[in-house]
Amino acid sequence: MPLPSLPATPTPGQPAMTETLSLTDLAVSHAGALIQSVDWTAIAPPLVAAVAALAVLVADLFVPARRKQLLGWGTVAALALALLALVPLRHGDRATFCLKTVAGTTDNAGCSYVADHFALVFQLIALGGALLTALLSLHTVDEERLPGGEYWFLLLSSAAGAALLPASRDLATLVVALETVSLPAFALVGLRRDRLGGEAALKFFLSSVTATAVMLLGVGFLYAAGGTLHLTALADGLDRAPAQLRHLAEAGAALTLVGFAFKVAAVPFHFWLPDTYTGAPVPVAAYLSVVSKAAGLAGIALVTTLALRPYAPTWGLLLAVLAAATMTAGNTAALRQRPDAPRGAVRLLAWSSVAQAGYLLVPLAAAGYGHSGSSPLGATAAYALVYAVVNLGAFAVVAAVGRTAPGNRLDDYRGLFSRRPGAALALAFALLCLAGLPPGVVGVFAKVVVFRAAIDGGLGWLAVVMAANVVVALYYYLAWTARLFAPAPAPEAGAEGAAARPPRTPAPLAAAVALTAAAAVVLSAAPQLVLRVVDAALF
Amino acid sequence: MEATQAPRTVGRLAQWAAASADGPARDGGYFDAYAAVGLLAVVGVLFVTVAFTANRLMRPVVPTPEKLLAYECGVDPVGEGWAQTHIRYYVYAFLYVIFAVDAIYLFPWATVFAAPGYGAGTLVEMFVFIGFLAVGLLYAWKKGVLAWT
Repeated sequence: MPLPSLPATPTPGQPAMTETLSLTDLAVSHAGALIQSVDWTAIAPPLVAAVAALAVLVADLFVPARRKQLLGWGTVAALALALLALVPLRHGDRATFCLKTVAGTTDNAGCSYVADHFALVFQLIALGGALLTALLSLHTVDEERLPGGEYWFLLLSSAAGAALLPASRDLATLVVALETVSLPAFALVGLRRDRLGGEAALKFFLSSVTATAVMLLGVGFLYAAGGTLHLTALADGLDRAPAQLRHLAEAGAALTLVGFAFKVAAVPFHFWLPDTYTGAPVPVAAYLSVVSKAAGLAGIALVTTLALRPYAPTWGLLLAVLAAATMTAGNTAALRQRPDAPRGAVRLLAWSSVAQAGYLLVPLAAAGYGHSGSSPLGATAAYALVYAVVNLGAFAVVAAVGRTAPGNRLDDYRGLFSRRPGAALALAFALLCLAGLPPGVVGVFAKVVVFRAAIDGGLGWLAVVMAANVVVALYYYLAWTARLFAPAPAPEAGAEGAAARPPRTPAPLAAAVALTAAAAVVLSAAPQLVLRVVDAALF
Repeated sequence: MEATQAPRTVGRLAQWAAASADGPARDGGYFDAYAAVGLLAVVGVLFVTVAFTANRLMRPVVPTPEKLLAYECGVDPVGEGWAQTHIRYYVYAFLYVIFAVDAIYLFPWATVFAAPGYGAGTLVEMFVFIGFLAVGLLYAWKKGVLAWT
């Protein structure tokens, strides 16, 4: 330390000055020079979720068994708080964990965490989706005797990862965030501990771990060729990469994309999805279909548009083919669902979510084809927002019906309108939005936005494939909607009569149904709330 | 004699590999440099194959029941060859991982935290990290995992 070794000074005026000088020296050159200053406001959304996860886990150890309900409500409160933490960031100009040495620091090239509008939209999906999932699960945890503390801990951890992912701007943070989303999800799927749950968790685990291994290899190759992990700087690095490393970089890009394709369950990497969704508790399936999928999608968007910019035409074509295959396979399989198969409702929604992932990939593919004007990523963000709301709404009603009809076959929905008009109307509206038919106006607009992105990008053939798929999908969405309003099957009603009145839907579940239905109706009345994302500059 | 020869052989191989890596690399074939590695693998497989085949051709085969027993340090084998480890050890494996990860991060930290420029913030950060690990241990303890059953 320099302070004790100060030379003794003869004059009375001198010492104070010398001391001040050396103190300022100390302040400038030492304190905090090597420790980054962290913008805590910027990282608040994932941080609140992560800290709450830890708090719930510890609280679970000390809370008596009959008060475990409190943990669930604590989780809901924490997720609401994390959502509120998005409000001060709304200008989208925060960045933290920045590296000063990376070239081009005028923009956020050297930052690992950037809270721009792209990140904020996907954080809204992740945290809002997790909040609705928590509302859906409050009764599930009690009724299915899931371990409370662990369930909420895992849900919050996964949500923290999903909130971190869209804001991360280097490959290491991206992979860590993606794993933070997935690892708790395996356990959530298998938490019911029956045979189906075990199978579901194992399939999910194996395919996801394979994807991670493949992706890590790809990331390693990209790092070797580009010389940096920061996404924007990596694009420049790949541009300047020596010719002999070209194949390495291309292989790395392909492997990384394959890894992400597994995570969003794009065809041909989708085979784990239906069994995983049907084996998991319904709220967890809802969570996977919305939050986990949105996280994977955000990852693809970041890696392709930021890091792999030099290879834009190549991955543009690759994503276009993936999108076409995904929507076609998803819709074809959804068409083949029999109405009397057990757990048919969840399985149909699972295949429908595969098809929807195909639509979501379309604007990303268009981004690879040198899109003029506004960024097509806005279309993906808007579609993802709409899809999150209406898909969670559909899952909420399925969870409510699943309480009285454990088989949860599609036939169990026959005549739902006469028994529970509210739930039936909510499900009908959600299905119409998913199909893209009026009065589900917001679904129509979301589809139009995606179409426009495809056509602007010069992907006419993909727009045609998508149009055909939308028409095909109408069949199974409308068949389900029609079943809701069909007369109830006579023998069952006669046998059970008034005694078979369904028990009251728990308040949180009813709140989740009402919240999603209200959001879908409001968005249909004022779609500009979502569609302004389309034209905004996201990055 | 063999011991002194081995390093020299390796050295010569490395020289040759370096030379061969220099040549083709200039011609543009980056991965040609790995030809030496491939050649080494081929030589290794050939060596094992030749040795075992020669062994089989030259040895007399006169089996007796005693000779066919599993060899266990010259003593007659006891019990089955199949042994199972108790599943409860997995918890200890997990707890070990907690401490192993702990140590991996502590070592580099311990070498720099007193250096100028780090200071109290670094100290606090590490204790936050250890705090996270301690939560894991606390969880295991409260769930009764640490008691031997």
